Amino acid sequence: MLRTTLGKVLTGGSLSPKRVTAVVRAASSQTGKKPEQIEVFIDDIPVKVDPGTTVLQAAAMIGIEIPRFCYHERLAVAGNCRMCLVEVEKSPKPVAACAMPVMKGWRIKTDSEMTKKAREGIMEFLLINHPLDCPICDQGGECDLQDQSMAFGSDRSRFVDIDHTGKRAVEDKDLGPLIKTVMTRCIHCTRCIRFASEVAGVDDLGTTGRGNDMQIGTYVEKMFLSELSGNVIDLCPVGALTSKPYSFTARPWEIRKIDSIDVLDAVGSNIVVSSRTGEVMRIMPRVNEEINEEWIADKSRFSYDGLKRQRLITPMLRDNTGELKPVDWEAALLTVAKQIRNAGSSIGAVAGGFADAEVLVAVKDLLNYLGSEALCTEHTFPLDGSGTDLRSSYLLNNGIAGAEEADFVLLVGTNPRFEAPLLNSRLRKAYVHNELDVALIGPKVDLRYQYQHLGDSPSILQQLANGQHEVNKKLKAAKKPLIIVGSEVLARPDGSAILAAAQKLSASTSPEEQNWRVLNVLHKVASQVAALDIGYTPGVDRIRELNPKVLLLLGADDGAIEKSDLPNDSFIIYLGHHGDHGASIADAILPGVAYTEKQATYVNTEGRAQQTLVAVSPPGRARDDWKIIRALSELLGAKLPYDNLNEIRDRLEEVAPHLTKYGEAETANYFKQAQELSKGIKTQLDNSPFDVKLKELSDYFMTDSISRASPTMAKCVQAVLKQKQSKF
Amino acid sequence: MLRSTAVPVKEALNNPVLLRTLVGSFSSVPFKKRDHSTTPVQDQANQTSLQATEKYKPYSPFQNTSNLAEFALARLDDLLNWGRKGSLWPLTFGLACCAVEMMHIAAPRYDMDRYGVVFRASPRQSDCIIVAGTLTNKMAPALRKVYDQMPEPRWVISMGSCANGGGYYHYSYSVVRGCDRIVPVDIYVPGCPPTAEALMYGVLQLQKKIKRYNTLQMWYRK
Amino acid sequence: MSYFGLDRFFTFLKTIKNYGGLKASLYKIYRMDSLRPGTLVGTDKFGNKYYENNAYFYGRNRWVEYAPQYGTDYDGSQVPAEWFGWLHYKTDYLPSQDAARPKYKWMMEHTQNLSGTPGQFMPYSTTQPKVQAWVPPKK
Repeated sequence: MLRTTLGKVLTGGSLSPKRVTAVVRAASSQTGKKPEQIEVFIDDIPVKVDPGTTVLQAAAMIGIEIPRFCYHERLAVAGNCRMCLVEVEKSPKPVAACAMPVMKGWRIKTDSEMTKKAREGIMEFLLINHPLDCPICDQGGECDLQDQSMAFGSDRSRFVDIDHTGKRAVEDKDLGPLIKTVMTRCIHCTRCIRFASEVAGVDDLGTTGRGNDMQIGTYVEKMFLSELSGNVIDLCPVGALTSKPYSFTARPWEIRKIDSIDVLDAVGSNIVVSSRTGEVMRIMPRVNEEINEEWIADKSRFSYDGLKRQRLITPMLRDNTGELKPVDWEAALLTVAKQIRNAGSSIGAVAGGFADAEVLVAVKDLLNYLGSEALCTEHTFPLDGSGTDLRSSYLLNNGIAGAEEADFVLLVGTNPRFEAPLLNSRLRKAYVHNELDVALIGPKVDLRYQYQHLGDSPSILQQLANGQHEVNKKLKAAKKPLIIVGSEVLARPDGSAILAAAQKLSASTSPEEQNWRVLNVLHKVASQVAALDIGYTPGVDRIRELNPKVLLLLGADDGAIEKSDLPNDSFIIYLGHHGDHGASIADAILPGVAYTEKQATYVNTEGRAQQTLVAVSPPGRARDDWKIIRALSELLGAKLPYDNLNEIRDRLEEVAPHLTKYGEAETANYFKQAQELSKGIKTQLDNSPFDVKLKELSDYFMTDSISRASPTMAKCVQAVLKQKQSKF
Repeated sequence: MLRSTAVPVKEALNNPVLLRTLVGSFSSVPFKKRDHSTTPVQDQANQTSLQATEKYKPYSPFQNTSNLAEFALARLDDLLNWGRKGSLWPLTFGLACCAVEMMHIAAPRYDMDRYGVVFRASPRQSDCIIVAGTLTNKMAPALRKVYDQMPEPRWVISMGSCANGGGYYHYSYSVVRGCDRIVPVDIYVPGCPPTAEALMYGVLQLQKKIKRYNTLQMWYRK
Repeated sequence: MSYFGLDRFFTFLKTIKNYGGLKASLYKIYRMDSLRPGTLVGTDKFGNKYYENNAYFYGRNRWVEYAPQYGTDYDGSQVPAEWFGWLHYKTDYLPSQDAARPKYKWMMEHTQNLSGTPGQFMPYSTTQPKVQAWVPPKK
């Protein structure tokens, strides 16, 4: 949970020192050398802090939590809610702890009479105009105002207006299909405004009027559409902004929360899956400073209703009339085993974007046993040069958090805003706070920050690689340069040449730090890195050459391979959880489970292995993917040597030890060797301009089988298209 | 004798068609005839085609045995079940008002002892538990513990709406929505509370169920 | 005669005779656990026979002997609704005498409790399924 709950306030010390020091470090780094620490006393406990530390941060260091509404660690300080007022000795008035830097020798009293009275007064003011509708409010149970009024409010009421003649009432705003507004509940903390302008880079939200007439809104009738918009729901300390799809469905005390990993993009955001009665009710972010801080993208947050639609819940077989008919597991597995036995070694597999490491390794073991090496991923990557042998050529080597420190970023054929919204938010953070310069080769897209558009022709990359471009100077001068190559351009026929050029270019830079890794590849799907680590061949060319009699699709839904690519008598098996493109061309469907229903390993684009946990049970007859393969192997007489999760993870460890080191990003090296190998590449850059699929917000929402099945995502697309029609 | 109807009674009695429309088409018995004997009354014309078609039903439910071993085991099963169902000792688990009705089946009017049903106060001595009343969240662990202490084979009778599915307290924060969330239930007795007669019927249904157990035969088939 | 209890002995003999001999009477005891004389007041369409003997006290003076096809698996639900009232002292009228209860065509045939048999009632859910299945496209 993001918000400060009552329990947190009472137990104290939730604001991790790590986080505070990060803030302090950011503040102090500008002054150059490390200044002397000053000593202050908080409730008579001495604490040494750097100058510039606010009272609130100093208190957090010794575990004293000061109540607050407007203050948020990741946003600018506003100081307008006044909830954090504390007494400072010899100061006539209480001071706002969130905005006031400490002075030497200050004695701060967070529990004195004056502080308590100030808090009670503020709470009374806030509650004068706050409706008493907690029983019908979605925030009820996880509301900062509720918790803090319990902890810090007065126990008496002076409210006498029982006829409700003077309570403030504000018209609700239409912020789009994701955010529900009840603006009467708003306490004007302006967290949403600050988030929109600082993190999301959308200046749509703002305030109008002043005093009692102040309103949060979009000035004109406009929806708040951004790929990060859902985060304002978590930020809002009251029930003014709540989740529209989640509205009136569940209460926080009746849901079960399971920590998990998002797989809808390659970032691998940490999430909390809330479920009730075996149904996913909502998805919220979980703090992970290395990956997603405490934000998640809207697709990760709201596409969970796609998990309840278009699901494969029973095995199916295509009958004589060409229709897919539901059958039981026994019949399905026997038929599939018969087909595979007939095919012999003429069998291939294509892994889609949602395949986890366990099933990838199980399928690889099975196919290798059968004598086939045709294991492919749906998304292509150049194989020339070092190919996928050296991990450094296909990872986001410098990490997601590392992007924050960069001072020059060159984006090649990618739109990080929609391919990895949280990486883009990091870049934007660096752009705002760290004076980051960004240059882009590729189509001109809106990244919500300014960048130098170099054009979309590959020849520009060639010029850069040869050192003939003006940007080369900047790259050379940069202390922490980054080159981020999109996986989409690498899928082009000249992908290897593009990668080689990027490798050459990155070698020409001179980063200040030894461990700074310039070359980064940004993937689009969650399974890709794990698949390449395990030894899958990127791209389906090999399948096309082999023309296998049996093709196993592991949730491959992007249409990389069509029925027409295969011989007529080929047998296609689809193992996945959604009825989409892959299932409709399949001859046999084996229902697998989605990421909320399995404990599985995913490796994100920076090479960090993480595991999802079981939040709800699989629907119908669906079973864990790798267990299906394991059962199938027994019917084929090639029994795979693992019976439970631990055993298959031992096998994963044998293949690649980092796959089970959860939470750690296994870094890769050998950049020089990769570059050496890339010199041998014969492929030339062709002249067709770089392109990306996701150019606009309407492209972002529906990209995979889960989000395509989600009605909320469909509404988002509609909303974006409607917004385009609008004159604002 | 007949209640007032639109048709004069005597006329109706004299006219068989009218009589049929009056009293319906179920089997009619000459109502004046009361000879004090057990000699069967003369059959009526419309009486029971059903009776003729259904054959005499044997005691054992296991009739299709293919070989001697199976036959022997089927008879052993019959014997085992007969013993079990004839000495069904329930553990009282009275939780609420249903418990009062449960007491009634032990009293002379319903007299459960005649079926070999004797209440025991210890789980170790009983093979059946009657969950009578509202099972609260607080009581649930106790129920489970008591159930776990019972020796196999054991059966559970859920008595009353509350034990069946939470009943009146279904939406309460403190009540288990049916005791089948805690223990596997064999017989559900509906009612709020069920009458003692209904509970008795439930016990008899459980006896019927026990009669169908094929413990030894399953062991043999394995 | 009554002084020696011989009348009871003769009633017993008569009862045995009415049940059709010693063997039939023993079977009756095996099946019903009792052997008592009474007036046959009626038979329903399933073949269950209803007896009355007011010499027994109220509460035991009416009983049913289930039809032979039920064997030892008789149970209370095999008494059809029209006889239920009489058997439970809800009414003193026999079904044939009670004109207030007509039978219409739409009335269902009485069935016994089918729990534990293939014909048992299985509740079905009226709530929406939590997960919508994919329906393969028709060709």
